[in-house]
Amino acid sequence: MKKLITVILFTAMASIFAVRAQAQVIVIANPGVKSNEISKNDLRDIFTGAATSLPDGTRVVPILLKAGTAHEEFLKAYVGKNDTVFRAGWRSLVFSGQASMPKSLEPDAVVVDFVAHNSGAIGYISANAPHEGVKVLTVK
Amino acid sequence: MKHWTITMFVAALAAVTGAAQSLDDLNIQIHGYATQGFVYTTSNNWNSMNSSDGSPAWTEAVFNVTAQPEPKLRVGTQVRYFLMGSEFGNAITLDWASGDYKVNDKFGVRFGKVKTPNGLFNDIQDIDTAFLWSLLPQGNYPITSRTSILAHYGGVVYGKLPLGKQAGKLEYQLYFGERVLPAGDGFFVPIIEGGAEMPNGLTGPTSGGTLRWYTPLNGLLLGVAWDREDLTGKFEVPGVFNGENIDAPFKIPYFFGKYENSKWMFASEYSRVPADHKTMVTSDIIPQAPPVGTILHNVIDHRTWYAMTSYKLTEKFTAGIYYSSYFDVKAPRVTYLDSTNYPHYWYNRFQKDWALSARYDVNQYIYVKGEQHFIDGMNFGFLDADNNSLSPTSKQTILKIGVNF
Repeated sequence: MKKLITVILFTAMASIFAVRAQAQVIVIANPGVKSNEISKNDLRDIFTGAATSLPDGTRVVPILLKAGTAHEEFLKAYVGKNDTVFRAGWRSLVFSGQASMPKSLEPDAVVVDFVAHNSGAIGYISANAPHEGVKVLTVK
Repeated sequence: MKHWTITMFVAALAAVTGAAQSLDDLNIQIHGYATQGFVYTTSNNWNSMNSSDGSPAWTEAVFNVTAQPEPKLRVGTQVRYFLMGSEFGNAITLDWASGDYKVNDKFGVRFGKVKTPNGLFNDIQDIDTAFLWSLLPQGNYPITSRTSILAHYGGVVYGKLPLGKQAGKLEYQLYFGERVLPAGDGFFVPIIEGGAEMPNGLTGPTSGGTLRWYTPLNGLLLGVAWDREDLTGKFEVPGVFNGENIDAPFKIPYFFGKYENSKWMFASEYSRVPADHKTMVTSDIIPQAPPVGTILHNVIDHRTWYAMTSYKLTEKFTAGIYYSSYFDVKAPRVTYLDSTNYPHYWYNRFQKDWALSARYDVNQYIYVKGEQHFIDGMNFGFLDADNNSLSPTSKQTILKIGVNF
């Protein structure tokens, strides 16, 4: 019984920390983007160059953070790749003539400013970063 | 076709620059990468390198400029410097120059000199920075023929079609245009070694496509591709006869699959080239030559496949292994002398290769690679001209450093 309680407690703690890790990054978009939510698959497709539009037809432009914890968390949670593999994937598209490299900006405030003033822009920032002028997309 | 596509590309470039109010409007990007390789082989020299003593004669550099003044339109070009040994490259060539108009995710069109999307890796086989391997399986992606088979003059129509939540997506890429194999292409090295020449190379219509099914299982894709080539050109055996290559169109099917997640990658591919290369004698120079009008046949049936896997041991370090096999079903498995007493070795007509590979990413700009090959058969890159005598097996060690921006 003692072991079972320990396992349950451990699992609960791990879940809490997992949720906290995901909540450390928020996905933001230009207010002109129609949707208020985005699926994990669509988010991954946009940020890997596999798609350029949301299911509602809005053309979107991904904006990356150059580096940092929020960038790493975003890649881990929503793309499933580390930064090296992620950028190698984009280079495949760029050097084969299929895409342009998305903009990489820093810090969070610069990302927010760009997303707020560029139609279709979609990015990600730290959850506790100010984000006036943009909308937050719920990832489902 | 070549001139038409270049004209269209220049027109697109003019439209893009004419519409822009400033350079910022053009969203210009500049990228590039460079690699330096070192090759050591036991037994045999490889691809005109003195690799049996260790050779650094393998250098590549790529420079890429693109402009995207509007979300749907992108124009760009990429040039490459490639050096391999003393016979291949050592020149700056045009990789691609294209205009790309993407209506939406379901339909887009690219035209100019464009990468040919067939097989699993064809359109990215030259992008060293994009994958683990120093050398892709040579039966499917021979490095000395790369320049000719990875791009064509013409267009590509592409898009991704959702199949429903439970069925994934289907990506299509259909291409058409003209294929140009210049006289110096590595494709002709075995022909030249046999005493013949293709003074103008080969050109002709090309068409085909690739279908990739991104399955509902995240990370798994399955695909088929096909390629149709209808190439012609002059064929000469100096001092003996002149001829004209009159190949019937030949078709190449490809079947492939790939699975990858954050740590693992598995991939496999099979392709086959069945063809009857026909040459018609147009003038006979010596009495012993075949009479004018004779059609000479070179029947081939090349079958090639590979299976590969890699594992990301740490964030910066990846290791992998592949096995590849290439053979010509039609080629006799014996060494024989032809009518000019030129020996054709049986081990020149197949190649099996085990490769162990590793890559370390120092940072997002610099990486190093190491690869060890265990090769049985000498079909790719082991030339009589580079060796006093060829051994049927060889080990090959490759070290590479790459930088990109």
